[in-house]
Amino acid sequence: MAEPEVDLTRKYDAVIIGSGAAGGMAAHVLTSHGLQVLLLEAGKKLPIEQELRSMEWPYDNAHRGFLPPDSHSLSFNEYTIRNPPYGPGFEKSKHLHSYIGSSDYLKNIVVDERENPFTGTNYAWVRARCLGGKTNIWGRLALRLSDYDFKAKTRDGYGEDWPISYGDIAPYYDKVDLYLGITGVKENLPYLPDSIFQRPTKLNCAEVTLKQGIQKMGRVLTQYRAGVTSDGLKHNKYRSRCYGRGACERKGGCDIHAAFDSPTGLIYPAMDTGNLTLRTNSVAREITVDPQTGKASGVHFVDSQTMKDYNVRARVVIVAASTLESARLLLLSKSRLYPNGLANSSGHVGHNFCEHVMGPGVAGRAKDLVGKPPTLDDGRPGGFYLTRFRNLAEKHPKFIRGYGFEGGSGSAMFPRGTDTHGFGASFKEEVRKNQGAFIGMGAFGEVLSRYENYVELDPVVKDKWGIPSLRFHYKFGDNEHRMAEDMKETAQEMFEAAGFEIVHVSSRVLTEGWSIHELGTARMGNDPKTSVLNQFEQSHDVKNLFVVDGSAFVNASCQNPTWTIMALCWRSCDYLAEELRKGNL
Amino acid sequence: MSTKDPIDLRQDRRQWLMTSATILGASLLPLPPVSAETSQAETAPQPHPAKTAEAKSGARFFTPSQHALVEELSETIIPADSHSGGAKAAKVADYIDQVLRETFDDNQKTLWRDGLRLIDVMSQHYHGKTFVNATPEDRIALLTVLSDHLQMTDLPEVRFFVELKRLTVTGYYTSKIGIHDELEYKGNRILKEYVGCDDQGPASS
Repeated sequence: MAEPEVDLTRKYDAVIIGSGAAGGMAAHVLTSHGLQVLLLEAGKKLPIEQELRSMEWPYDNAHRGFLPPDSHSLSFNEYTIRNPPYGPGFEKSKHLHSYIGSSDYLKNIVVDERENPFTGTNYAWVRARCLGGKTNIWGRLALRLSDYDFKAKTRDGYGEDWPISYGDIAPYYDKVDLYLGITGVKENLPYLPDSIFQRPTKLNCAEVTLKQGIQKMGRVLTQYRAGVTSDGLKHNKYRSRCYGRGACERKGGCDIHAAFDSPTGLIYPAMDTGNLTLRTNSVAREITVDPQTGKASGVHFVDSQTMKDYNVRARVVIVAASTLESARLLLLSKSRLYPNGLANSSGHVGHNFCEHVMGPGVAGRAKDLVGKPPTLDDGRPGGFYLTRFRNLAEKHPKFIRGYGFEGGSGSAMFPRGTDTHGFGASFKEEVRKNQGAFIGMGAFGEVLSRYENYVELDPVVKDKWGIPSLRFHYKFGDNEHRMAEDMKETAQEMFEAAGFEIVHVSSRVLTEGWSIHELGTARMGNDPKTSVLNQFEQSHDVKNLFVVDGSAFVNASCQNPTWTIMALCWRSCDYLAEELRKGNL
Repeated sequence: MSTKDPIDLRQDRRQWLMTSATILGASLLPLPPVSAETSQAETAPQPHPAKTAEAKSGARFFTPSQHALVEELSETIIPADSHSGGAKAAKVADYIDQVLRETFDDNQKTLWRDGLRLIDVMSQHYHGKTFVNATPEDRIALLTVLSDHLQMTDLPEVRFFVELKRLTVTGYYTSKIGIHDELEYKGNRILKEYVGCDDQGPASS
């Protein structure tokens, strides 16, 4: 299918590479400043509502909601015993997906591993190449960072501080809240600032029990802060408010777009300004450079369907391809002027790669809920968030930084507890009686930013379009493993404090990458020798080049990154527009 | 099998496998190896005579008698009770047939073919009847032997039981009967308001 005609002869004010949270936000902000913008997306524009089918019953689906038999999604064990590229050994499967792609609703959203190989250390790399990227299927937990994160080095001496403070980004968090909608409850926590919340979702009974049970330990459980509009957004005609339709736990997205996604939240409204041109199926190969000025001149890309190559010119180039893909593109953009890749005079592109470690957690049962009539518990965007408590006031002896827990409780469409031992009448009754009594949570902890954790270009392996693949050199370190041990212990301790019967305690650390929160490969900083970008996500080396996605993060914090990616991007794009107006770019 | 003595599954299976040839007829041989050292590799895909016929599109995986056996096995895993229908009413055997018909995993197909055969060998050994002809109590007693020996993952009949339970559970709780009758799932509908813990009023329908 040919792409709609896009004028590639003109010079755009800005070209954006990538249409996820960062690229969508850049498109929104720059078009609102009146700039003429071209947005390139490597994947297709999917008929997303037809993919997600949020209200389809399992029995109305040809495979009960699971992947068709010709497709396979990688399991934890497979990630552990096999090495990338994750293609050899799976020849029988026509399509091979990362672990997240185990449902029929995601099979066209996540990439095929064989078309997009990578090498090196094991990594569960989840990529969504389609308009909107991973925002179509994100977990929606929308948290702010604080100066506990931005000034973490000042606090504990490790790594680098961000070149911004909370005060610099707070007004932009507010803008993101108001423009996209977020539900939650104010808690006045210095380490987890409140957003401007719409109507909150509610906790169910086991969650309230846990909240009360841990209060005496000084720990805080709050409603899931979801990037979901619960009251609706008058300025956006593409999104509905949340109707609590249930099955929100199902892997997949929200086909009424109450949950934020980049296309309906940012890109379609930006197109309505008349200032945005979109070209999908456009895989960037290289950012081109003007050899006279040393500035970025545009993008060289290949049409993913026709395999034809194109060039487009722009006054400013904005990279928003996702943390690892953005680093890859900078490294691919080698020239006589920039032999180590673009924006890489520091040698830090691809390095300081960090994310969240996850796996440890606990499952339990609220005994007072066993045998109670069924309730609706999954008719909301999420359950609860249990906030960080380590290394705030006191210093933990075994590790630095912190972690929080995501969790939920109650009935789901597919019952929890089917791993109950045995079979027969008693098994059936056990599953039925316990279905609303289960509660569980899993931790997300900060992985330290380390120069030694990095990606580079593989000298041999290329993707389907002949573009060199990434080679990973990335492993969790001692701090993460000691933190994971603590996660397991505190999870159990808090469930015991709440009086739950412990059903399962997990100490297993999941494969690197599992959190889908990769960050830091082109970090910001004030020193061009140790950082790639300045505080406005602008390249120290190339003034008209901006990298506005998770690669700009200086550390991972333990909060989910999407809201911060968008707030930073908004701030950077306001600056960009002003600098362009002044003729400084 | 009325004895309360713990069953020695490994010891017993030597006997039933030795006698199975005369009970079931030679057409069902070869049976899987008996030795305790049996590894998973030894049950790796083997050429199967029925394979080509079943490969035809639309053809069923199970023969009619295998289908009847799977119906009774799945019903023993999740039976009908006063609350709701069981696996048979939820057509779990049809679901499992579809999974096996469509799967690219030959090991899984082999496990099911061998497993169904072993169930009847065991049933003959313990109760002198095929599983379908055994009483409900005898069926439960037989599956209990396997359910109590889950750690013996080298035995194909144990692996078969795990797989039988897994697919029965998946098929049942994704069926109309499982979701609506058994669990009375309340979601997947438009709500005015999510009812939380604080404002749970008197039970309403």
